[in-house]
Amino acid sequence: MNDTRHAIEVNDLTVAYHSKPVLWDVDIDVPEGVLMAIVGPNGAGKSTLIKAILGLIPKASGDVKIYGKSYTQARHLVGYVPQRGSVDWDFPTSVLDVVMMGLYYQLGWVRRPGRREREMAMEALEHVGIADLAHRQISQLSGGQQQRTFLARALVQDAQIYFMDEPFAAVDAITEKAIVALLQELRSRQKTVIVVHHDLQTVEEYFDWVTLLNVEVTASGATKEVFTEDNLRRTYGGRINTLTRIAG
Amino acid sequence: MERLLIDLLLNFMSAEQLYDALDDPRMVAILIGAMVAVSGALLGTFLLLRHMALTSDAISHTVLLGIVVAFIVMVYGLDQEADISSPWLIVGAALSGVLTVYLTELIFRSGLVKEDAALGLAFPLLFAIAIILISRYADDIHLDEDTVMVGEIGVAWANANEHCFANCEEVVITPDHPKAETGRQCINCKPSGPYSPRDPEAIFKEICSNCGTYPASIAYTRGYIDTSPQIVLWPRAITTMGVITLVNALFVLLLYKELKLATFDAGLAAALGFRPGLLHYALMALVSVTAVGAFDAVGAVLVVAFFIVPAATAYLLTDRLWRMLVLSSFIGALAAYTGYDLARGDFLGIYNLDKLLVFLDKHVLDLGGNTTWNVHIASAMVMMTGFFFLLAWVVSPRYGLVSNTIRRMVQRRRFREQLLLMHIHNHENTENANRELALDTLHMHLNWSENHLKRMVARLRSRNLVRVQNNLVIMTDRGERLLQKIMQERISA
Repeated sequence: MNDTRHAIEVNDLTVAYHSKPVLWDVDIDVPEGVLMAIVGPNGAGKSTLIKAILGLIPKASGDVKIYGKSYTQARHLVGYVPQRGSVDWDFPTSVLDVVMMGLYYQLGWVRRPGRREREMAMEALEHVGIADLAHRQISQLSGGQQQRTFLARALVQDAQIYFMDEPFAAVDAITEKAIVALLQELRSRQKTVIVVHHDLQTVEEYFDWVTLLNVEVTASGATKEVFTEDNLRRTYGGRINTLTRIAG
Repeated sequence: MERLLIDLLLNFMSAEQLYDALDDPRMVAILIGAMVAVSGALLGTFLLLRHMALTSDAISHTVLLGIVVAFIVMVYGLDQEADISSPWLIVGAALSGVLTVYLTELIFRSGLVKEDAALGLAFPLLFAIAIILISRYADDIHLDEDTVMVGEIGVAWANANEHCFANCEEVVITPDHPKAETGRQCINCKPSGPYSPRDPEAIFKEICSNCGTYPASIAYTRGYIDTSPQIVLWPRAITTMGVITLVNALFVLLLYKELKLATFDAGLAAALGFRPGLLHYALMALVSVTAVGAFDAVGAVLVVAFFIVPAATAYLLTDRLWRMLVLSSFIGALAAYTGYDLARGDFLGIYNLDKLLVFLDKHVLDLGGNTTWNVHIASAMVMMTGFFFLLAWVVSPRYGLVSNTIRRMVQRRRFREQLLLMHIHNHENTENANRELALDTLHMHLNWSENHLKRMVARLRSRNLVRVQNNLVIMTDRGERLLQKIMQERISA
C-alpha cells in the first residue's frame, strides 16, 4: 500500500454488452477523501463504471476493491445516488419514506423502520433543506427537490464512499450550488465522492480529482494535472472546439 | 390442515352454525371470491407499480403448462393417481410462472424486440405447448376450456370434504342388530345358477340385506341411530385459497420494506444487497400459485381482473403504498361480495336487473318471458371491480374526473384574470393606452369574446383589482400588488 490510502481500486475492469465492450480494461485508483468527477462523451460508459463497481451489472473481467475488500464485504461503506430518471416518481410514497430507504441496509431483512429511523431521515432532510416537504407525495416534487431527496437518502446511509449518477442533471442553479456545498462538506469529513458529471465548464471549480473516460480511461488523477486540453481531446475525439477555451 | 382451520373456527361458532354457513352456496362463493380478490390485490399492487400488469395475464395462462407437466410426471413418472388438487400441481405452476418471466427477459435481453413483444412471444408459446400436451397425454383430466377460461365459483361449495366432530362412531349392522333387515336371496339363480327367481326349482335363503359398516352421517340419515353426528362439510377450495391468501399476506407483510425498495428503486435494492432479482421471481412464483388456486373459482382470464383492477382503483385513491395494499384488498373483496348479488340481478341493492329484463321483454325484445337475471358469478364480480374503478375515477379527490374538472376550471379562470391584469399593467401609462385599454375594444386585443371580457372585468372590479375610468380599464393599487406577488411566485417556482 502507498502512502495515500485508496478508497477504491479498479483493476482491469471490462464490461461488455454482448461482445461489444462498454468499458475496456479500466484501471483506476481513487484516494480517500477526494471529490472525483467522471467525465466523458455520451456512451462513454460513465454510469456503467459506477454500476459495475457496485456490482449491479456483471463484469466480463477485472475486480474492484473498496478499502481493500470486495464490494459485498464493503456494502455498508458505500452510498449510491442513482440517476433521477431511473425511478418512477409516481410511486405511492412520501419523501420521508424514500429517505428512510437509505437506512434499510442497517435494518437488514424484515425489520421495519421505526422512530429512530424517522428522526434520522428528518435530520437528513433538514440538511438538504427540504424538511418541510417530508410528507409530500414524491410526484409533487420539482426536479431539484427530487435530487435533494435522493441526496438525503444517501446522507442517512452515513457511508464512506458516495457514488452519484448525474446529480446535476436538470437542476436549477440554486440547487446545483447547494449540492456542490454538500459534496464539499462530505469531502471535508474525509468522505470520498464519485460523481458522473456532464458539464466540463465546472469540473475544475467543483472537483479536485477527475477520471476522463471514453470506454477506456484516458486519464485519471488530480484535476490540476490531468484535466488538460490534450487529455480532453483524446477523450472527446475531434469535437473539442468548444472545450479548448475551458481547458486553455 | 383443514381440521386445524375448522378447529380454529369452532372456537367462535358451533358446529351447526358452521355447517349452515358452509351449506350456503352464496356464502361460500363470496368467501372464495373475496380470498381470490385479496390474494390477487396484494400481489397485483406490486405488479401494477412494476409496470407488469400484463405479466399476470401471461402467467395465468402459462401456469397451465406447469399443471399439465406436473400431471404427466405424477401419472406416468411417479405412478400416482391423477389428482387435480395435488401440491405437485402448485409446484409445477410456480415453476412455469417463473419460466415465463425468465423466458421473456431472455428474449428481451437479446435486444431484438421490446419488452411487450417479448412477453407476447414467450407466453403463447408456452400456452400452446400446454394445450398440445393436454390433447396428447391428458385428454381425460378435468381441464376443459370452460374451466381454463372462466371457472365456476358457484359450485365450489359442493366440492367438499366431510369432517365429523361428535357422535362420529361408525355403525355396524349385524344380523342380530335391531335395525337389521332381512330378505330372501336365491342361491341357485342366474348368473351363478341356471334358474330365475320365478322358477319353482329356485332355492332361497334368509339373508341380512342391510348389514355392513356405515359412517355416522349415513347411519343417521337411514335412521340407524337417533343422535345426529356433528358434521362440517368443508369446501376444498376454501382451504386452497385460504392457504394462498395467508402465504401472500405473510409475504407482503414480512417483506414489505424489501418489496417497496425493490419496486421503487431496484438499483439501490441491489446495491444494498436486498436481492431484487430473487424477490422478483418470488413475486412471480406467488402470482403463478395464486392464478392456479383461482383457476377453479374464476378461471385463467378473469383472475387477471382481480390482480389489476382493485389495485388500479386503489392507486387512484391514495398515494401511500400500505394504504394502497389495504384499499385494493378491501375493494376486491367488496367486488366479490356485491358481484355475487349482481349475478342474481341485484345491483348494490339499488336496482334489480330483473326489472330491466321485464321492460325489455315487454317493449323492445322478445325474450319469451325469460326475465330472470342469472349470469356467471365470477364475471359479475369482475364487472363490479370495473364499476368500482369507474367510481374511483370519477370521484377520486386527487385524480378524479370531477375534482380535475373543477380544478382545471378554477385554474383557467385564475390564469385569465392574471392575463388581463398583465395586459393592463403592460399598457397602462403608455401612449397607446387609450386604444389598448378601452372597455369596448379591449376584447379584440385579447381575442376574447365581448361577453367573456365583460364578465372578467366585472369580476375583477368586484374584487377591487381594477376600476373603469373614462371608459378605460385601469389597475387599482390592490391589483398592482397582487400582480407583483404573482410574478414573484412565478419566478421562484
